[in-house]
Amino acid sequence: MTDSTTPAGFVRQGWRWSGRLLTGLISLALTLLGLLAFTFTLSHLAPIDPTLQVAGDHASESTYAQIRKDLGLDQSVPVQFGRYIQHLAHGDMGISRITAQPVASDLARTFPATIELATCAIIFGAFFGISLALLAVWKPGSWLDNTARLISLLGYSVPIFWLSLLGLLLFYAVLHWAGGPGRLDDVYLYSMESKTGFVLIDTWLSGDRDMFFNAIKHLWLPVAVLALLSMAGITRLLRASMLGEMNKEYVILARSKGAGRGRVLLRHVFPNVLGTLITVLTLSYATLLEGAVLTETVFAWPGVGRYLTIALFAADTPAILGATLLIGTCYVLLNALADALTYLLDPRTR
Amino acid sequence: MKAFIPSVLFAAIAASFTVQAATPANTLVIAQSIDDTSSFDPAQGFELTTVQAFNNIYQRLVQSDPNNPIDLKPTLATSWEAAADQRSLTFTLDSKATFASGNPLTADDVIFSLSRVVKLNLEPSFVLTQLGWDDKNVDSFLTKVDDHHVKISWTANVSPSFVLSLLSAPVSSIVDSKQVKENAKGDDLGHDWLASHSAGSGPYKIRTYVPHEVLVLDANPSSPEGAPKLKTILIKNVPDPAARRLLIEQGDADMARNLGADQMAALTGKKGVKPLAIPYASLYFLQFNAKASPALGNPAFWEAARYLFDYKHIAHDLMKDTFQVHQSFLPEGYLGALNDTPYTYDPAKAKAILEKAGLKNVTFTLSTSNQPPYLDIAQALQASFAQGGVTVKLDPGLSQQISTKIKAHQYDAYMSSWGPDYFDPNTNASAFAFNPDNGSQTLAWRANWSIPALNKLTLAATAENDQSKRVADYRQLQLEVQKNSPFVIGLQAKSLIAVRDNIQGYVQGINPDMVFYSKVTK
Repeated sequence: MTDSTTPAGFVRQGWRWSGRLLTGLISLALTLLGLLAFTFTLSHLAPIDPTLQVAGDHASESTYAQIRKDLGLDQSVPVQFGRYIQHLAHGDMGISRITAQPVASDLARTFPATIELATCAIIFGAFFGISLALLAVWKPGSWLDNTARLISLLGYSVPIFWLSLLGLLLFYAVLHWAGGPGRLDDVYLYSMESKTGFVLIDTWLSGDRDMFFNAIKHLWLPVAVLALLSMAGITRLLRASMLGEMNKEYVILARSKGAGRGRVLLRHVFPNVLGTLITVLTLSYATLLEGAVLTETVFAWPGVGRYLTIALFAADTPAILGATLLIGTCYVLLNALADALTYLLDPRTR
Repeated sequence: MKAFIPSVLFAAIAASFTVQAATPANTLVIAQSIDDTSSFDPAQGFELTTVQAFNNIYQRLVQSDPNNPIDLKPTLATSWEAAADQRSLTFTLDSKATFASGNPLTADDVIFSLSRVVKLNLEPSFVLTQLGWDDKNVDSFLTKVDDHHVKISWTANVSPSFVLSLLSAPVSSIVDSKQVKENAKGDDLGHDWLASHSAGSGPYKIRTYVPHEVLVLDANPSSPEGAPKLKTILIKNVPDPAARRLLIEQGDADMARNLGADQMAALTGKKGVKPLAIPYASLYFLQFNAKASPALGNPAFWEAARYLFDYKHIAHDLMKDTFQVHQSFLPEGYLGALNDTPYTYDPAKAKAILEKAGLKNVTFTLSTSNQPPYLDIAQALQASFAQGGVTVKLDPGLSQQISTKIKAHQYDAYMSSWGPDYFDPNTNASAFAFNPDNGSQTLAWRANWSIPALNKLTLAATAENDQSKRVADYRQLQLEVQKNSPFVIGLQAKSLIAVRDNIQGYVQGINPDMVFYSKVTK
């Protein structure tokens, strides 16, 4: 019996959890502040004059000076950072210099597109990655193992933009199995009311099934490309972790007691690599959420990866900071999720 | 429920096997990159996407005829008259013209539109501030005679014909002052609202603009130009040129813009697609920083460099005829342009010139954008200069990063392109042959090229009323720059687009902004 079953125990448990939550929130805030300070400094060290992005190449000296002042670039870097944090505390992420729109609305528009792509990709990547790793470990060194290794090697080493273009050429231009670049065909583009920003949900809610299938037709190819990428990572790491477990004493004991290969793999080895699997999956998902820039470029997918890249090229500090903050928060939260899941699923960590 | 998910997936896969849909019948679907867009406010937009849109959503008092751009045609002004002192023009406005909102055009709209450009002081404002206007005095130069007459005056020593050219530039687009004022926030003169809305009288109006995604234009049947043929123009952002090629090939786009030489080659001979290489006023040139080293400031080195630029190989072989050789600062098609090409690739002659000048083992770093075609051309220059004994080190980088270096004079040589800002020879003369001591960061300033005599001639040419004398002035300026300057102008680009073969009536002029969709049918 634990002390949490008594009223005093409940209170203590509650305090402990509140303390953990508070510590977690403070840690999150400090991590993000540090991340912002680092990104802010880096973006000011970049050898790009941010005024040029707005003033352009042809502007007169007076225009250049006025824009520099309007952007607050005539102030010292610490003052600029202080102002940014002050505005951020009021929920104002600033105006992007590349889109002339509030950064918050830019992110609200681009992030759902990335979440949709990343979530679908991680689901398929995880399913096939885990399956392939299990097949590989089933008989190490067999043709199954070699095929799994080859596929994961291909996923790792083939340039993703090349794979995307090749996929478009084959499945869109030749076989017509996939929709072209973009999230929907033009005929549907403006008959859909964007309620959530997720094209699958919005098209489903519209009630027009043709439109929904059209969204799938546009989505599956970029998802497949990204799923292959994450699958490669999952397979490699999971295979290596499981092979590492296969020579341990508990496996030898289980085998000597007559457990079959499948039982050993699924009931004994797999639960022991769950921690690794959760870490790999969350990191893969976080990487995909960061935005697959090249895939988003080839498939004209208006996600946060392209947004951040364009902002970086233009030294658009408010957009860079806004996107960094969002992605940083995702990383921290996903790490916390990985810790919590590992804590729940792996008794050794408690 | 268990059977539901597989059945949805199966239906989705089955739906995937259907044949590709053509573009909607009353819509022109254009695939291009719109990532360059800053704002659809004519007082700010100065990029390819925005200036091309302005020709379809706004009108100016006068506009160039795209088929013969030297001719200015009355547009929102039906006529104009210059004052005897040549320092003002009085315009008679089209009394029947209305904006897309239904508001009639008045002199107030003209005054509001031109003055807000100067007051907002954004990138394209320099086009109008050449007239001696600034945010404090501009109102005194714009006078309402009555509702349909407006007088525009200036203090700068420029001719009325030059002023007309400036008033035909996209920045001089006339906005609906009533509608803009209704949507203004504080003293922003409607700048925020116009970033993604339109208030013009052109044949189209903005329905939707989603940054980095799409620009949709709807027909404005009440435009003074007449109702456009198609109801909708859908310009979708397809950043990758190879993906644009696939879209046009499949018929999922009616037009693909800004293609590369490789895409044009791949589309040649493809059924249903017409690749078009349209003459374009963009010049590609090499520029030396005259103060970077004694050799780079030596006119003998500049002359040798003109024989080390392998013009024909780059234009015809490397760039597959998507460029033409052009060696003067006015593009072919401009008033007074010099179209002869006196320089050819001749490493032996270059070596002799360098030897005579005592220049040995010259080495320089060439800064350029890391994007095609700049880096391809820079690599070709590296090889051709090596044949003349000149070592070129490449310094490729992001366009903004390179521009920052150039404006700080932290470079040896720079390979870039230059497009005109308005249709008048002064637009390029004031870049290549003008380096006044007033803080203007012209190309000549960036090259550290001191040219008091050419400055005077450039100014005199803008003040000249007699067209033949003006042409003579620009020819002289071009000759000076061609023969004795730190610029090696080598190529004139072509605009590379592809259209489906059912597209008729598309008009594109020589200037980057001269794109017209109102007569397109399909």
